[in-house]
Amino acid sequence: MLKSRTFLKKTRAGGVMKIVREHYLRDDIGCGASGCAACGSAHEGPVLEPQPLDRVSSLCPQPHYLLPDTNVLLHQIDVLEDPAIRNVIVLQTVLQEVRNRSAPVYKRIRDVTNNQEKHFYTFTNEHHRETYVEQLQGETSNDRNDRAIRVAAKWYNEHLKKMSAENQLRVIFITNDRKNKEKAIEEGIPAFTCEEYVKSLTANPELIDRLACLSEEGNEIDSGKIIFSEHLPLSKLQQGIKSGAYLQGTFRASRENYLEATVWVHGDTEDNKEIILQGLKNLNRAIHEDTVAVELLAKNQWVAPSSVVLLDEGQNEDDMEKEEERECILKTAVSEKMLKPTGRVVGIIRRNWRPYCGMLSKSGIKESRRHLFTPADKRIPRIRIETRQASTLEGQRIIVAIDGWPRNSRYPNGHFVKNLGEVGDKETETEVLLLEHDVPHQPFSQAVLSLLPKMPWSITEKDMKNREDLRHLCVCSVDPPGCTDIDDALHCRELENGNLEVGVHIADVSYFIRPGNALDQESARRGTTVYLCEKRIDMVPELLSSNLCSLRSNVDRLAFSCIWEMNHNAEILKTRFTKSVINSKASLTYAEAQMRIDSSTMNDSITTSLRGLNKLAKILKKGRIENGALTLSSPEVRFHMDSETHDPIDLQTKELRETNSMVEEFMLLANISVAKKIHEEFSEHALLRKHPAPPPSNYEILVKAAKSKNLEIKTDTAKALADSLDRADSLTFPYLNTLLRILATRCMMQAVYFCSGMDTDFHHYGLASPIYTHFTSPIRRYADIIVHRLLAVAVGADCTYPELTDKHKLAELCKNLNFRHKMAQYAQRASVAFHTQLFFKSKGIVSEEAYILFVRKNALVVLIPKYGLEGTVFFEEKDKPKPRLTYDDEIPSLKIEDTVFHIFDKVKVKIMLDSSNLQHQKIRMSLVEPQIPGISVPTDTSNMDISEPETKKKKLQK
Amino acid sequence: MAFVALSEAEKVYIVHGVQEDLRVDGRGCEDYRCVEVETDVVSNTSGSARVKLGHTDILVGVKAEMGTPKLEKPNEGYLEFFVDCSANATPEFEGRGGDDLGTEIANTLYRIFNNKSSVDLKSLCISPREHCWILYVDVLLLECGGNLFDAISIAVKAALFNTRIPRVRVLEDEEGLKDIELSDDPYDCIQLSVENVPCIVTLCKIGYRHVVDATLQEEACSLASLLVSVTSKGVVTCMRKVGKGSLDPESVFEMMETSKRVGKVLHTSLQSVLHKEESLGPKRQKVGFLG
Repeated sequence: MLKSRTFLKKTRAGGVMKIVREHYLRDDIGCGASGCAACGSAHEGPVLEPQPLDRVSSLCPQPHYLLPDTNVLLHQIDVLEDPAIRNVIVLQTVLQEVRNRSAPVYKRIRDVTNNQEKHFYTFTNEHHRETYVEQLQGETSNDRNDRAIRVAAKWYNEHLKKMSAENQLRVIFITNDRKNKEKAIEEGIPAFTCEEYVKSLTANPELIDRLACLSEEGNEIDSGKIIFSEHLPLSKLQQGIKSGAYLQGTFRASRENYLEATVWVHGDTEDNKEIILQGLKNLNRAIHEDTVAVELLAKNQWVAPSSVVLLDEGQNEDDMEKEEERECILKTAVSEKMLKPTGRVVGIIRRNWRPYCGMLSKSGIKESRRHLFTPADKRIPRIRIETRQASTLEGQRIIVAIDGWPRNSRYPNGHFVKNLGEVGDKETETEVLLLEHDVPHQPFSQAVLSLLPKMPWSITEKDMKNREDLRHLCVCSVDPPGCTDIDDALHCRELENGNLEVGVHIADVSYFIRPGNALDQESARRGTTVYLCEKRIDMVPELLSSNLCSLRSNVDRLAFSCIWEMNHNAEILKTRFTKSVINSKASLTYAEAQMRIDSSTMNDSITTSLRGLNKLAKILKKGRIENGALTLSSPEVRFHMDSETHDPIDLQTKELRETNSMVEEFMLLANISVAKKIHEEFSEHALLRKHPAPPPSNYEILVKAAKSKNLEIKTDTAKALADSLDRADSLTFPYLNTLLRILATRCMMQAVYFCSGMDTDFHHYGLASPIYTHFTSPIRRYADIIVHRLLAVAVGADCTYPELTDKHKLAELCKNLNFRHKMAQYAQRASVAFHTQLFFKSKGIVSEEAYILFVRKNALVVLIPKYGLEGTVFFEEKDKPKPRLTYDDEIPSLKIEDTVFHIFDKVKVKIMLDSSNLQHQKIRMSLVEPQIPGISVPTDTSNMDISEPETKKKKLQK
Repeated sequence: MAFVALSEAEKVYIVHGVQEDLRVDGRGCEDYRCVEVETDVVSNTSGSARVKLGHTDILVGVKAEMGTPKLEKPNEGYLEFFVDCSANATPEFEGRGGDDLGTEIANTLYRIFNNKSSVDLKSLCISPREHCWILYVDVLLLECGGNLFDAISIAVKAALFNTRIPRVRVLEDEEGLKDIELSDDPYDCIQLSVENVPCIVTLCKIGYRHVVDATLQEEACSLASLLVSVTSKGVVTCMRKVGKGSLDPESVFEMMETSKRVGKVLHTSLQSVLHKEESLGPKRQKVGFLG
């Protein structure tokens, strides 16, 4: 039967289009219940169980199926995902509405329906002859959909009655819409609200916690006072943005101050790209990462970013007076030029909520079921949830989803989703930090694994096509100890004409990962391998990363080689790229390689090759530094793990050997050569990496800091900066140079991938190279795979495919890669921080020397070089009298009582793990020296012997 | 236009018949052939109609699109006509063969609608100087069996009657910026008033008399004819003489009187048919092109 559906649509140009679609109705769509004789011939296998008896509901004792409406599906997906809920009919109408309104929920419901055990059945009611309804005159499409759902529910009940009169199968309609429910009951459909139903499931009381609490609009007005101003509707916002009255941007809450946030305005022509928001009312319920519309305040209300560190600690809800008082702290007199554009949020364009990890802060009132949840991410406000299992959830890491933020509530409302495990447990914490940084870490799916080559794998004749046999060369790899994903190897030999031939051989990952397949898509999604302290989250399955692609010694491996002919002054005479087969002669560690170079007794071909490389690398490095490449510093730490418990027992800062920089130098050279080549071949769609020069204002803090030590830092060019950093030395204070370099690193911009056709500035500031890309680590970075593919096409070794030469697709890919890289970095840092905590937990209280890195209004940020640890020393504590603090922004310095602290001052701090607050275990630092009465802590706490773990370490190495 | 080859004797027979008020198919001089009208035949238009008049077969589709008003009439919408002569109608229309006729018919349609009273153009305006509705009236000749103009004008009127224009609202914010909001309900439409839309009555001078609704054979016997567009109230809005013969003032006057008389009847019966069809609602069994 043929029907046509007509609807009107607004086109992008503003016109109105009438669209007519043909719509076929059929009478062979099954109801999905197994054992149904009427639908026996339906092609799909039955999904619903014939006797769904597992749920015992006090409201409906008979066996029944559930039929939720759109809003229930959208908001209560967490409940539906619970294993206790089974035998649910999902209507096509509902599914389509969900898809239009929320893609993530749609994906989740698809996953649930695909799960055989859940017995979810998708009923295509829109194409069923008896359940199709047409929109009536005067009916909105929402009303029509509601009616369609009711019609389907009614049909189901009648249909099931026909099937077997005696066993009384029923379909229960779940809706939270009061009117819809009334109508359904009028029509004889058993209907309940989600809450009623879930509460009636006496066997599963824990489900109630997972209910999203949705305040009904009706009772919003009478309870409590309104704190926030109303959000404007989307249509108004769009008009406002069009006219320029409002600005659209991404809301970024501050980590350090819960009353402050910035909005990054989209679009690049704006002068004020960043807008400051201050105070709860101006933040107006926006949550980190939301897309918001902001209105700029008048110039006389502009503020400067405050340098106060404020944590939201108030347990009492809606304690607004205190908030206001706190907000006053922010507004201190500042000079005119410090003021930044300030605004307030007028509406939310798109919420970017996700489930948040964190911990429960149990309410002080014993019987209370309402508790606050503190997310692990400090940028997310605390969330109020309702739970009856607060005592079991205490001390556990849990996941909570936000449901909404009513105008009269100080905190958003949410509901409990999942319990991850005990706080402090290594597995749990790792899971938390992976989730918090959005690192895809699930095991690879079957579809992905099926694309891996079958073992045993060997190189065939076919693979040798377009490939050079370089197995005779004396290639070796140099990596950190314990490295299993070796993606680069080197060789160097003297040619007959006296020149040197240097080869960089990179694992040919693009041979195994073919464009467009599941493996490729998964790696593109992951973007990068994430290295945590004790765990590696691979970008490609282990078979590839640690075996087939890893350039291990004494096996034939496929490689992509970049081969230069150089003279002895390291000048490149010829460059060529080729796919190849290599057989690495040795896998060395940096230390082993260094040893070979240094030992005069060794003269085998590997060692001479290494010496040649080392010599050239030194020349290359010198040239690079003369060009203005920066040598920066960041405190890097490695943990020594106990081999059994995997607890960190000691940490050491990374050692740098000559061989490290030798490998690095050739990787840089290969990357630059490849970048030049692919840009030459594909000027519009080469994937490159750039590092923009930071704006001069970024250096302010560095220049000020150096000035306080009577040093001058020039920041006009990279070269000037590098030179002045080299000159900035103090005989009395040798660590100063490192500190300055650490500070300089903080001033830098993030290096990013981009598509050459979408940008004009290619410069890599840090490396002082006009063009750069990533070619050398395809096992752990997806960008390199794309670069490999481009290069393979350029040298005629592989064929191209449409997406490769689509610059918009490439730009999109770059966006994801940049995001993943940033997140991987954060996850890594979080992992280090967690292990540092574990370390100090085992060590107890320690006093250490530290240097002041930043001076804040009420705190000092210090760096402990020994551990590469950064921490904040606060001077305002809750229950103590406030000390006299005088902050000078110009120098910057902080005067506490009578002692003045400057940047880079050497202090002594006491480090301990603060477990008093179970919410957030943190490393607490307090001042020991210089002594300030009433503030610093006495030194008498045992200064534990740090050399003690040394012995353990030795034991380990045996 | 389609041709019929008639012998001299056949012509004399027709002329003499007309003289006696008895035409070949048995009609009188002021009788129309049976007219079949069906509206809403093309679902992806805003309004459509198909008219069959003897062997003449016309399909008209109206499409409403948003556009900017003409400069000289800032607060009115407007109509655009386009006539397509399908080669199905006659092989002569193949290629560009039908273009001349198409342009001629379109121009005639522009002329009869070029007055304030035929369609309320002001109701097509959404916001003055910025947005208005443009009605694209597309006429398709499916078959030519004489008296094209009358059939086309009936079909246009029926299609306009059937036209539903989506109701839009103009939202204005404080800055005076306008945004157009479309109603969610597809039934929320405005309907045009076709009360004053004229129909063309073509009168063919045959011998000393004139006939309405001439067949192809009769057209071949006529040297001159007069197109008169008449509204339902009998007001003549436009007149045009076609054919190579001449008409004396007296017979022109007579013909006008006839057209008024005939036109009024034509409008009344068309109006009643259209209303009757509309009252059947969406459940009406459609005849379409297969019926």
